[in-house]
Amino acid sequence: MKITQTFDSNGTSSIAITGELDASSAIDMDNVIKKAVDSEAYNILIDCTYLNYISSAGLGVFVSYQQDLADQNGRFVFHSMSDKVYNVFELLGLHSIFSIVPTANEAQNLLKGNEN
Amino acid sequence: MRINYTTPCSTDNLRDIRTFISQHLDKTQLTEQEKYQVILAVDEACANAIIHGNQCDCNRNLRLELSIKQDELKIEIFDIGNYRPNEMNWNGRSIDESIRNRKKGGLGQRLMYCIMDKVSYYKNGKINVCSLVKKLN
Repeated sequence: MKITQTFDSNGTSSIAITGELDASSAIDMDNVIKKAVDSEAYNILIDCTYLNYISSAGLGVFVSYQQDLADQNGRFVFHSMSDKVYNVFELLGLHSIFSIVPTANEAQNLLKGNEN
Repeated sequence: MRINYTTPCSTDNLRDIRTFISQHLDKTQLTEQEKYQVILAVDEACANAIIHGNQCDCNRNLRLELSIKQDELKIEIFDIGNYRPNEMNWNGRSIDESIRNRKKGGLGQRLMYCIMDKVSYYKNGKINVCSLVKKLN
């Protein structure tokens, strides 16, 4: 798995995941999210365009930080997720807890409060 | 048809386990999404055995036995670890509770029970067996 992370000036961290997020790579994801939280970037965009597999270890990372983000009025926004990965969120009911939108633009708009 | 696969207890081998399962699921009539889900359930069971049962000890092995019948797919995972998952670890905990308590664990067990028609654990001598069954229509 490969992760790229960028920060912008308005407290948002953008993270793009490539490959498979499983029990062997979840620690890397955890470190990246921790870096965002430690940097006070409480809005976190997750680009799932090239995420082709996720297991509970990966989902657990997002679940475990959700409260920290909410406490700071932030959130995760996932975008460009494949149907197969979305289905894993659905199985656990996480699709109704996390913000998941089809495109990067919609994710940006959601964070700006411009959701239509 | 019955196929065996043995690999050392390392999370680095989960990808190969998924590839092994995937290759054989192509012989079934499962849809692509069902195959993906079964691969996920097996991955979760193996990750539990590797991490919690065997503390990622590469000197120990995990053995998988896959059997495909006309009406049933069965995957059994054998190891010698000392961890036996307890349904109550996750059954009584909601996702909201996991979020509030910042808990990472418990989701894998939940996925296994969501995906498979039957999940069971038993001992055969000193060997732990996790049995996953999916009905094939």
